[in-house]
Order: sequence, then structure tokens, then C-alpha cells
Amino acid sequence: MLTDITIGQYFPGRSLLHRLDPRMKLLLTLLYMVAVFLPRNWYGLAAAAGFLLAAVLLSRLPLRLIWRSVKPILFLVLFTSVLNIFYVTGGTTLVHWGFLRVTTQGLITAAFLSARIICLIIGSSLLTYTTTPTALTDAIEAVLRPLKIIRINAHELAMMMTIALRFIPTLMEETHKIMSAQKARGADMESGGLLRRIKALIPVIIPLFISSFRRAYDLAMAMECRCYRGGEGRTRMKRLRTAGRDWLTLTVMLALMIGLFLLNQLGSVLA
Amino acid sequence: MAVLEVQNLTYTYAAGSPFEKQAVHAVSFCTRPGELLGIIGHTGSGKSTLVQHLNGLLRPTEGKVLLDGEDIWEKPKEIRRVRFRVGMVFQYPEYQLFEDTIYKDIAFGPRNMGLDEAEIDRRVRLAAGYVGLPEELLDKSPFDLSGGEKRRAAIAGVMAMEPDILVLDEPTAGLDPRGRERVLSLIEDYRARSGATVLLVSHSMEDIARVADRVLVMDQGTVAMLDTVQGVFSRADQLQAMGLTVPAVTQIMLYLREQGVDVGTDVYTVSQAVERLLPLLGGDAGC
Repeated sequence: MLTDITIGQYFPGRSLLHRLDPRMKLLLTLLYMVAVFLPRNWYGLAAAAGFLLAAVLLSRLPLRLIWRSVKPILFLVLFTSVLNIFYVTGGTTLVHWGFLRVTTQGLITAAFLSARIICLIIGSSLLTYTTTPTALTDAIEAVLRPLKIIRINAHELAMMMTIALRFIPTLMEETHKIMSAQKARGADMESGGLLRRIKALIPVIIPLFISSFRRAYDLAMAMECRCYRGGEGRTRMKRLRTAGRDWLTLTVMLALMIGLFLLNQLGSVLA
Repeated sequence: MAVLEVQNLTYTYAAGSPFEKQAVHAVSFCTRPGELLGIIGHTGSGKSTLVQHLNGLLRPTEGKVLLDGEDIWEKPKEIRRVRFRVGMVFQYPEYQLFEDTIYKDIAFGPRNMGLDEAEIDRRVRLAAGYVGLPEELLDKSPFDLSGGEKRRAAIAGVMAMEPDILVLDEPTAGLDPRGRERVLSLIEDYRARSGATVLLVSHSMEDIARVADRVLVMDQGTVAMLDTVQGVFSRADQLQAMGLTVPAVTQIMLYLREQGVDVGTDVYTVSQAVERLLPLLGGDAGC
């Protein structure tokens, strides 16, 4: 059923990661992305991966969820690996075949980069798994607020995102209903070539469009009736508050980054 | 005359996921040719899920739907043929209109059946006649029609397929009293003229009492009662326990009886009530 699709990837829970301030989580994710690119040797990368592993365990998410977020990018990982294996040369040559050469340095670079990409993906999906879409838009609004100087209205952007997210399930249900109604009149959506299938969608898309517009008008009217005037002077029911744990995790993250920096130094000393 | 039979039907939403929910459980019933079967039940009792099985929009998790004794899922590729024989009008059907004229929209079903133009034209005009849409409206856009007219045009779109069995899910929802009356009488009209069997899902006990021959009561995904209108509405207490009521006029009669007025309580429509109450007031039906 179409209605069973969960929107966003939020997975409910009460772990430390779930309870962190979404703004802090957004900042931490960005910092982690930088952190993943800091290490220049395996010690550093292992430390970054270990940190991530600890975060995953703390979040108490089922591991298959983590795997599900990695799966779609495996192709990309494979593709970059192949490029790296053939383009990066250095160290001892393992295979020499025409103009293609596989060297130890190539293999190492490929593995290093793959590990980085995977850490990056897991790190950012932890954010979406542990944060509700609304909390995330609130956080984005808060983070983008300074952009007012260049006349970008963060509140409006966030409101649009919230509304869009809110209406995805509604429109899914609507699509399902209209499809059933047209199927009941003998619409055939399952057979025929591409062109026929596209044409078969017209009886679904047109009513869906019309009802989306109707909903948009209704919603605009309802918002106006409740005196919606944009973000200026608006108070919120759920105010974002940073707690001690937020600053503590930020400290840990900064410690990780300093640690990674030191490990780089250590690496060059050892080499 | 087509007969629809449901055998031991069970349907589970999202089977195997944490959201698994059994919407319909072991339902069996059989329609009688040409009857009008009302289907009532509290919100979430499985009425809509049940009727979506009748034309193969949902496939039973367990059990069978038989049309004239044949399992409709015998040949899944030919399920569309079942949909032409068992017409289905959804809730708020006016939201499915999509063509630029009413004529074309009513013709959508017949055209999907692969009929020739002359036959399509005949059916469109006939169906428009059934629902009382005047000729000059046929060339208008659905957006130029009133809410009630749109609803009737959408119902005509299903009637134009000339189904042997017509299923309507809450066809009067959201209409004003005149619109309700109109939709109900066009359903009765269609049934009288075509001889089709009609299944009517409704929240309105008044509507059911007015048009149904038999009533099927759904409760928590199972069939709680299947009886004549009289048989069902005489069990007011049981209905109440399922979150349903008897028609308002029956409630008045029950109250009068309680207050010591000697009236029968087997009264389900206003005209029946008039017949019973006038003699008590010393008047006659002519006044």
C-alpha cells in the first residue's frame, strides 16, 4: 500500500541522539563531515569510524536500518573505487594489463576513500533517523536565520518545507483513492508500453492536481483565519533549548577533531 | 441476473509489517438478484475494505469472491471484466472527474470496455438521463457544475458501464437534504429500470431504512447481522452497542412507547410514522 510508506526516515526512539537539540545535531553532522576528511592515515580513519560506531550504538537503531542507508550508495562507492584503482599509481605494481595498471597505492587509496564515503553516509543518515522532519525544519530555520541580511526569509522556506512534508502522506492517500476509482471504471494502468502507461496516468494526475490546488486554497484560507502573518514576532509552542548534553556532545566532537589532527601529526612522525 | 457471493473473506493490511491490521475477518454473505442491500457499520468496521473486494480492487488475503459462482481471481489478468460487471462508486466520486466535458467523462468507462461509438453514445445519454443531467450540461466542463451535479455526473460514469451489480460507498455524504433525496431516488430509479442488484454503504440509517431490502451490519471486521430492515432496526440495543443507531423516527417511537403511548415501534420512515400517529391524534391521512 502506498500509505504505508514512511516519510522521511525518522525512526522513533528515546536515545541520547534522539533527545539532542536538532540544531546541535545539524551542527554535529556538519562537523563530523569535516572530521571524516581530516585523517591522512589509517589511525585517524579508524578513530573517526570508531566514533561513528559508538554513535550508532548509542542511537539504538536497528542495524538493518543503517545497512539500508548504505545500500543505495554502494554502486557509487564501487565506481569511485574502480576509478581510483586504475588512476592512482604508486607503490608496487600488482597487475599490468595494456595501459591499465593496478598498484598497491591505488588499492589503498580506493579503500580509504570508500571508507570515508560510507562514514559520511552513515553519519548523515543518523541525523535523519533520529530527528523528526518537523524538528529538522525547525533546526534549518534556526540555522538559516542569519541569512535575513541577504533577504532570504528562513521562516518562509522552513514553513514551505513543513507544509510539503505534511502533505506527502495526504497526497499519497489521495492518489491511491483516485487510482482505485479510475480502475473501477476500467482504467488499465498495469499493461501496455511506456507511452500507453503515461497516457493511462492522465485520469489520475488531473484530479490529483485539481485537489492539490483546492487543498492549497483551503490551507491558505485556514492559515489566514488564524492570523498567520509570516515569521515576524511569531512565538512557538515547542522552543528549541540546548541542554547540558548538547554542549557535552559538542565537546566530544571537538575533542575528536583535535584527536584526528594529532593523529595526523603522529602519522607523519612515524613515517 | 448476477449473484455475488463472498466466502470467508479475510483481509489484512500491510501483512508482515509492524503496522499489520486485520480489517475484515471471515466475512461471508450472498446477494439476492435485484435486491438493494444496505451495508452499515461504525467508522473502521471494515465496510469500505469489504466493498473494495467485490470488484477486485483488493485481493482477499484469505477467502473468495464469487461472481455467478466463479472466483473473480481465477484469471487475474481479466479482472477488468469483473469491474465492468460490478460497478463501484467511491466516496466523493466527483473528485475523480478529469475530462474536459461531462460527456467524455461519462464515456470513460464504456470506452475502456472497448464499445463502438454508437453504443458509447447511447449509454452516455441513457446514464445522463438516469441521473437527471440535462443534455445541454453534457458539453460543459465538470468545473461549471454544482457539487450535486458533479456527484450525479460521476455516478452516471459508473452506471454507463451498465453493471449487473452496482456498489455505492456513501453516495449521499456531504450533500444537502435535497441532494441526498435526489441521489437516493436516482439509485432506486436505476435499479427499477435496469434490474441490477445494488449494494449501498451508508452512515445514514434514514437512507438505509428508506431504500434497502436487507441490511448487512458490520462490526469490527465481521458480519454482525444480515437481515431485513425490520429485523435489523428492531434490535436497537444491539446496534447501540456497536456504536450505531436506529433511524431518528424509530427513536421517537421508542420514546413514545416508553412514555406510555400505545404505538408500534416497527416504524422506520417518516411516512410510516405519519400512518401510525395520525389515527392516535384523531385525524386521518387526508388532513
